[in-house]
Amino acid sequence: MASATKFVSSALTIAEMEARKIRHDSSELWMRAIQPALWLVVFGSALTELRSSQLTEGNFTYLQFMSAGIIAQSVLFVAILYGVRLIWERDMGMLTKLLSTPAPRASVVVGKTLASSVRGIFMAIVVLGLTLVLGINLRLDPLDVLGVFSVVILFAMAFTAFSMTLSAFLGTQSRMMAFGQALTMPLFFASNAIYPISLMPRWLQYVSEVNPLSYVVDAMRSMILTGVYTQVPLDIAAIGVFTLLMMVSASLVLRKLVQ
Amino acid sequence: MKTGKPPMKAIEVEHLSKVYPGGIKAVDDISFDVEEGEVWGFLGPNGAGKTTTIRMIITLGLPTSGSIKVFGIDVSRDSARVRSMLGYVPQAVSVDGDLTAYENLLIFSKLFDVKKADRPDRIKEALDYMGLSERADDLVKHFSGGMMRRLEIAESLVNRPKILFLDEPSIGLDPASRLKTWGYIKKLNSEYGVTIFITTHDMEEADELCDRLAIMNQGKIAVSGAPEDLKRSIGGDLVTVKTSARPPSTVPADLGTVTEVEDYSLKILTANGEAALPQIIDYLRNQGVAIKGISLSTPSLDDVFMKYTSAGRDTRGSFRETREARKAFERRAR
Repeated sequence: MASATKFVSSALTIAEMEARKIRHDSSELWMRAIQPALWLVVFGSALTELRSSQLTEGNFTYLQFMSAGIIAQSVLFVAILYGVRLIWERDMGMLTKLLSTPAPRASVVVGKTLASSVRGIFMAIVVLGLTLVLGINLRLDPLDVLGVFSVVILFAMAFTAFSMTLSAFLGTQSRMMAFGQALTMPLFFASNAIYPISLMPRWLQYVSEVNPLSYVVDAMRSMILTGVYTQVPLDIAAIGVFTLLMMVSASLVLRKLVQ
Repeated sequence: MKTGKPPMKAIEVEHLSKVYPGGIKAVDDISFDVEEGEVWGFLGPNGAGKTTTIRMIITLGLPTSGSIKVFGIDVSRDSARVRSMLGYVPQAVSVDGDLTAYENLLIFSKLFDVKKADRPDRIKEALDYMGLSERADDLVKHFSGGMMRRLEIAESLVNRPKILFLDEPSIGLDPASRLKTWGYIKKLNSEYGVTIFITTHDMEEADELCDRLAIMNQGKIAVSGAPEDLKRSIGGDLVTVKTSARPPSTVPADLGTVTEVEDYSLKILTANGEAALPQIIDYLRNQGVAIKGISLSTPSLDDVFMKYTSAGRDTRGSFRETREARKAFERRAR
């Protein structure tokens, strides 16, 4: 019991630490918001005149269809490069110091991924705000928005932990940067983020079936666009299992980083 | 019947070895004890195995074989409990530049389970003591290297570890900050009773701070003991007397041995120069020899270090260690 309390308080303290840093300087997050904005404003606007029920799997505009995909993409970009920051902290000595505190190692992973999910929520709010500005018609009732936030939290935690795991094996900031960037585009394009899975060739459909991003986008699209929730429990279960696996693997290899 | 517990050992290391993949023996069967309340120094050239040893003690690296106990607790049994007793200041800057000084202290006091009621007073006290109160709400990235070191020591004042590990505490500091840092380390030890474990390759620092030290070389402990004993072990002090006439060619044995006589000077090697100096002066005066000048030189820890390590012959050091040290220096130097 005492150790469970210690675990939770350590994780929250580490999350608080990251949250305080965001409060001191949020310029990085605003800059990261530029990319999803461009996807919506340039890419989305260009394609939105194209009315095709095949492309949007229903009677929606393309901007409506892609909004959930862009939220997922913006969160993915923030999360998957977390390892670069972690290696930087290792190089500076801060990670070693953190791991020499009594905080359990897994609580360090939980705390840091929680903090990353705060960044993720920030991105989701920015993208949702943009959809309002652009007049994209979405179902934004409070429960659906809360649902989107929960998915974002799980998703950000999963990919932050994934990135932490990768960083333990890659070891340098430049390698992590290169690998992280190499991963994002395939993950993004091999998902239902900007076109439906039904349009893909068969082999790519198989890939997207095991791509966690597809489940994330599907859950969010159900909530803010279609209102059809039949797949949502499966989506969330899949994301939950993936998140748990990634957290466990990050906790196991974290020490490798400082050896 | 004895009453009370025997004095506690802060650290007991027995037959500790660390072999890295590829068969490189970073630490090769070392054993040593650190007494509670002392300042213990760990010296050695780059790549000697100092940092590897510290990392195993603070539970960041697993030993290949051997045992480590911190205040009687085996690090392999209860690593979390061991970590709750120790503070660690790595070579590189470990305070977080993106937080304020106050926040750095607050966050780490929470991680070290300092009671909520104690936090405000301890943080305020530590900031005052380290002369950082006025900068408490400034981001640490705008601090000088000396201030960052002070903040790191302030963390120990807040968290009150039983033992504090300092890896190269004055690397990259200007001479004034270095002296100040030494002062704070001594106070931490004498006023707060914190056992201190430092690594350094600055012999002056080791001489100034350490009660006892060990010199490591190529994974083994080459020699250990009090700095004075180590210096004495490689020979005594040298007393050089300038005289106005030819000095006697021998002196009584209890004063030391004459190593060199010239027309107007005399060199005497003695076990303890400071004690022998007045006796030598008295003796020469009684002999009717007028003294024009007298000087005392001691073998320094540098001499001890050079004798027991391969540093003089071989200056290899790991790339990583050098890189980290330089990085720390660059950050501090800003």
